[in-house]
Amino acid sequence: MHPATPPTTDAPVGRAHRTPLPRRRLLRGLLAVTVAAPLMFGAAACGDDDGGGAADPNAPVKLSIFWWGGDARAKLTEDALALYTKKHPNVTFEKTWQANQGYFDKLATLTAGGNPPDLFQIDDNYLAEYAARNTTLDLTSYQKSGKLDTSKFPESLWQYGVVDGKLAGLAAGENTQGLVYNKTLLTKHNLPEPTTGMSWEEHIAWAEQVTAKTKVPGTQDPSADYKAFWVWLRQQGKDLYKGKELGFTAEDVTKWFDLWKGARDRKATPTADVIHEGNSSDITKQLVVTGKSATSWVWANQMPDLKKNTKDELGVIAYPGDPSAQWARASMYWSVFKGSKNKDVAVDVINFLNNDQEAVKLLGTDRGLPSNQDLRRVVSDDTTDPAMKQSIAVEAELTQKFGKSPQVPIKGHSKVRSELIKAAENAQYGRATTAEAATQFIEACKSAIA
Amino acid sequence: MALTTAPDPTRRGPGSDRAHAERRGPGRFRHSEGLAGYVFLSPWLIGLMGVTAIPMLLSLYLSFTNYDILTPFSEVEWVGLANYERMFTADPSYWHAVRVTLTFALIAVPLKLAAALGVALLLNRAWRGVGLFRGLFYLPSLLGGSVALAIVWVNMFNRDGAFNSLLSLFGITGKPWVNDPDWALETLMVLAIWQFGAPMVIFLAGLKQVPTELYEAASVDGAGRFRQFRNVTLPMLSPVIFFNLVLETINGFQGFTAAFVLSNGTGGPVDSTLMYTLNLYITGFTDLNMGYASAMAWVFLLAIAVITAIFFSTGRFWVHYSDGEDR
Repeated sequence: MHPATPPTTDAPVGRAHRTPLPRRRLLRGLLAVTVAAPLMFGAAACGDDDGGGAADPNAPVKLSIFWWGGDARAKLTEDALALYTKKHPNVTFEKTWQANQGYFDKLATLTAGGNPPDLFQIDDNYLAEYAARNTTLDLTSYQKSGKLDTSKFPESLWQYGVVDGKLAGLAAGENTQGLVYNKTLLTKHNLPEPTTGMSWEEHIAWAEQVTAKTKVPGTQDPSADYKAFWVWLRQQGKDLYKGKELGFTAEDVTKWFDLWKGARDRKATPTADVIHEGNSSDITKQLVVTGKSATSWVWANQMPDLKKNTKDELGVIAYPGDPSAQWARASMYWSVFKGSKNKDVAVDVINFLNNDQEAVKLLGTDRGLPSNQDLRRVVSDDTTDPAMKQSIAVEAELTQKFGKSPQVPIKGHSKVRSELIKAAENAQYGRATTAEAATQFIEACKSAIA
Repeated sequence: MALTTAPDPTRRGPGSDRAHAERRGPGRFRHSEGLAGYVFLSPWLIGLMGVTAIPMLLSLYLSFTNYDILTPFSEVEWVGLANYERMFTADPSYWHAVRVTLTFALIAVPLKLAAALGVALLLNRAWRGVGLFRGLFYLPSLLGGSVALAIVWVNMFNRDGAFNSLLSLFGITGKPWVNDPDWALETLMVLAIWQFGAPMVIFLAGLKQVPTELYEAASVDGAGRFRQFRNVTLPMLSPVIFFNLVLETINGFQGFTAAFVLSNGTGGPVDSTLMYTLNLYITGFTDLNMGYASAMAWVFLLAIAVITAIFFSTGRFWVHYSDGEDR
């Protein structure tokens, strides 16, 4: 501190007189910066809009890529992308990944902010939403020119990425519905393992028996689960969607809810609050791994993830009923943002991740069975992870039985899914009759897909 | 660069500039002082404009459109009052969310304030170690709307949570609180009430301001503890109560984090925790109806403004300001 400060009243005036110039310059400078900065950023942002595939193939490219998944997927994906950079040193990646919950909120926000990733992972819950709004690049021309090679893909698999005649995303892998059960628990109590082809009634009777013997509820009630409902509908000759309409009626929903109300009354399932836990939890907390139920309704490629969360042996089969109601589903897709500056490179990366032997071997079955069937064989022969082997085995077995793929779920599907959970839980908690819940669901669906 | 717009120093020497400044005198000085004020304000001002004011006005515009986040602004369609119409006539889940929010606020806010005032009265005495207790009671509200706290809450109040273990010691079989549609919202209310520390500290400060002479006078007049509280403490504290009431009501309406975490962002089980803001979030970001969500946000803003205005207009009848006499 200065020992003698000048009298306070004089001080500012004195200083102002002493240093008018630097101060004014400073003020003007600051003002200029504050005014100019946003303008400059704005201008820069505008500059991003145009420009398609650049001419020079060796110009450095930084490609942004965004996916959801856990640590294991991140590691595999990063390795595969590093391999791409090794082969194409001019291409580097800006990688972002996060858990599934919140992924689509973030993707939508990035898109709205004019800063979407060049390349992103997406699934059939949102593909139509994005495709219908022209956010995804139509990959058809790349497919026709061979830059995107789908010759080794099962026909129905890449077709499951076609929305309104445009190839909106390319399958990053194949999966199908898988009913996962706790083998250890069943063996311990001398209970038979469920098998593919059991009817729904047989499955519920089996589950009832499991509950009675083990005190662990036999099966997670899947009435809130759209993928189980969907398989069941297809077995009744219906579908989730027909064109832009629902492919089912309130009576179908009531029948479905009644089937599971019967199961709950017979104690084949957990109580409503535990079912709710299973409905709202991510893969790591599915009831089959938390020990709150002997089976969970998942996707077959999620076996390795489930196995990581339990010490018990797990088994996997198809959903009950005729397995031809299941289909080779694109577990998820890679899509390119339509406004990307690096479309060609992004497409090439998708091609690489699907058709390059080394890359596919690195990725394994983490995103589902490899789409390229030649490489699928290579990966199945190579794999050592027992859980992965199981999921490959069940899908290989089902491949012969798969039926025709349904159309990609339409715009509004994510709302339909959450409305099904709401309606099913209303019935489970006994807050509505099955018929009331079904009517409520149909009403909500109609406004969701309108 | 932008900085080159500053005047070239070679054009005018320092002497001439000083003369310049002196000639202009105090008027010019005041002017530049004002400018400096704005410059120093600018970080906040830019923040206000960029992060609050402009997006807010934009959302007002969007509330009259069918904006869905993914469509570029240039292709957004004007739909007039359709979003507002839908909200008031054709969306049962909107009204459900309104009901959930009102229930939450009507129960949680008064109880929270009562808890805060009660504990503040206890802690207003000169005990030993009272400071420690003040700190401890304040602690939960420091954790505020944190995600971590909500996760702890979910784990404490599920079927095999700590709370049910505690109940089982007394032979009571608990409920699956957070997973039970009849109790999930109540669990959130308890969480909100438990965080009464912030209004408590304000109440404590208010209690310290009540002149002791008033209590002395009251006790000379033969007023007991309860009458002293009713006729001295409450009126003297009324401005603070008013302040807390307004603040906590607004907070109560805006509860989001805990409901989001508890329900995995769905408002479940069966929409029992579908708070207004959560419904708005789901509408905007999950269902991609951002135009409609913007309309909800504006109705929400108006509703809170109206409620606050009602508080202010009724305040005259019960809020007692003693400023005039004291100072």
